[in-house]
Amino acid sequence: MTRGARLLLLGPYVLLLMVFFAAPLALMFAISLSRQSFGQLEWAFTAHHYVRFFTDAYYLSVLADTLWLGALTTAASLLLGYPLAYHLALTRSRWKPLLIVFILSPLLVGIVIRCYGWMILLADRGLINATLVQHGWITQPLPLMYNKFGVTLALVHVFLPFMVLSLTGVLKRIEPQLIEASQTLGASPRRAFFEVTLPLSLPGILAGSLLVFSLAISSFVVPILIGGFKVHVLPMVVYEQVLSVFDWPFGAANAFVLLVISVALIAVYIKVTERALRGIV
Amino acid sequence: MILRSVVGLVYAFLLLPMVVVVLAAFNSGNYFTFPPQGFSLKWFANFFQRREFMQALWLSTELAGWTALASTVIGTAAAVVLVRGRFRGRDLLNAFVTSPLLLPQILTGVALLQFYTLLKMHASYGALLIGHIVVTTPYVIRTVTATLTHFDIALEEAAQSLGANPLRAFLEITLGVIKPGVVAGAIFAFAISFDNFTLSLFLTSAKLTPLPIELFAYLKYSFDPTAAAVSAFAIGVALVLVLGIARFMGLEEFTGF
Repeated sequence: MTRGARLLLLGPYVLLLMVFFAAPLALMFAISLSRQSFGQLEWAFTAHHYVRFFTDAYYLSVLADTLWLGALTTAASLLLGYPLAYHLALTRSRWKPLLIVFILSPLLVGIVIRCYGWMILLADRGLINATLVQHGWITQPLPLMYNKFGVTLALVHVFLPFMVLSLTGVLKRIEPQLIEASQTLGASPRRAFFEVTLPLSLPGILAGSLLVFSLAISSFVVPILIGGFKVHVLPMVVYEQVLSVFDWPFGAANAFVLLVISVALIAVYIKVTERALRGIV
Repeated sequence: MILRSVVGLVYAFLLLPMVVVVLAAFNSGNYFTFPPQGFSLKWFANFFQRREFMQALWLSTELAGWTALASTVIGTAAAVVLVRGRFRGRDLLNAFVTSPLLLPQILTGVALLQFYTLLKMHASYGALLIGHIVVTTPYVIRTVTATLTHFDIALEEAAQSLGANPLRAFLEITLGVIKPGVVAGAIFAFAISFDNFTLSLFLTSAKLTPLPIELFAYLKYSFDPTAAAVSAFAIGVALVLVLGIARFMGLEEFTGF
């Protein structure tokens, strides 16, 4: 392929990304270093907004909560996702395409809709509480929503498919002969799993965890709809600062803190998977 | 046996919210109870009669259509170079072109909002469309790459040695073989754009609201099952699109297993 042909084919997209992706992100960084008075942006070079973020107890607690929710979501997704991926990788069932549809369809159904489904289930007058009250098992509705429990539950639901897809890819590539060999040599199925399958699937565990963690800490639709503005996370602060308070420099600084965390995670993810271009995740 | 029951429960967990939404959409009551109170299509009627939902649905469909078209063309072209080209910095370029997919969309959204506002092109149709193209193209690149790596370049060379020029050889031979990946990529780009909420939230205005944004606004103030009808409709669209991908590319290849 000639240089000219390469330029012609790849050029449009690279140019698009330069102008409408890289440049806006660079601008966001510049804005995070500037000042704003009476709604007017003044270009400057100040670390003021970062100092404010890292010295204010409120924002530090928001950051801590964000990372904690991310960790909980990742752990729960791994726990629920592993059996699913294991089954999907090994099954020879003719229903397998249907199972993949089940895993993919939540990915293709908008996040607002999935949150709405959880709202119908978890609200004070929602399906679960209404049913329990109706049968007289409880008198007061259980606090299922507007707290960290509800938010984590919905986050796990939203990001579980990414974990399953990451794990299945790795589990499928494990040679079945390795497991058979360990069993021929006297290992119980349980021991074969813990000493052969599990260690060999570690790259998938790491990749899936990085991906889910990175997605979970940047989600703000779930905290807004399921948390009802009562669970505060970093992306929500970004959203509020940019779209409600209109404090662009501070909002940009918040966004940049999130960006640094995400980019660090993504860099490790690409290193671990070395599959920047294969599959959809 | 234990594995199977656990797996069954996790699938139930995955599907539960969507099943509930669909049941609520066809349920006659204002609140969804179990067992359902009775079958009714009135929430769908309400959905189709409300101007703002219809306008939003049309905007989303049109936007997703243009997004899919544009990202399929530039994504396929980019994938060809990324798979076949042998040049320095290819790995770095690979990482760069897929980065909009890995970077949290809220960051792309905020950055584009500020960028567009300073350029005075905020909340315009073109600005929204470009944003969607930026985030969907990496998906097209991935699906096309997946099929392109299996393609035997000798076929194209054979066509050329029989007298076809490189462009004709590509259009008639290569594109025919990688068509499944291209079509699946287009469908996926359509789906991603049609359902996109996070990016759109930052790039829309009261006059420019795609369906997910309209639904979100509706949910903030009311809880009636019209929202369920809208959602059930979108779930139906998603299912049709998944089946389309399955038909053209096969789901196992698509998911990269």
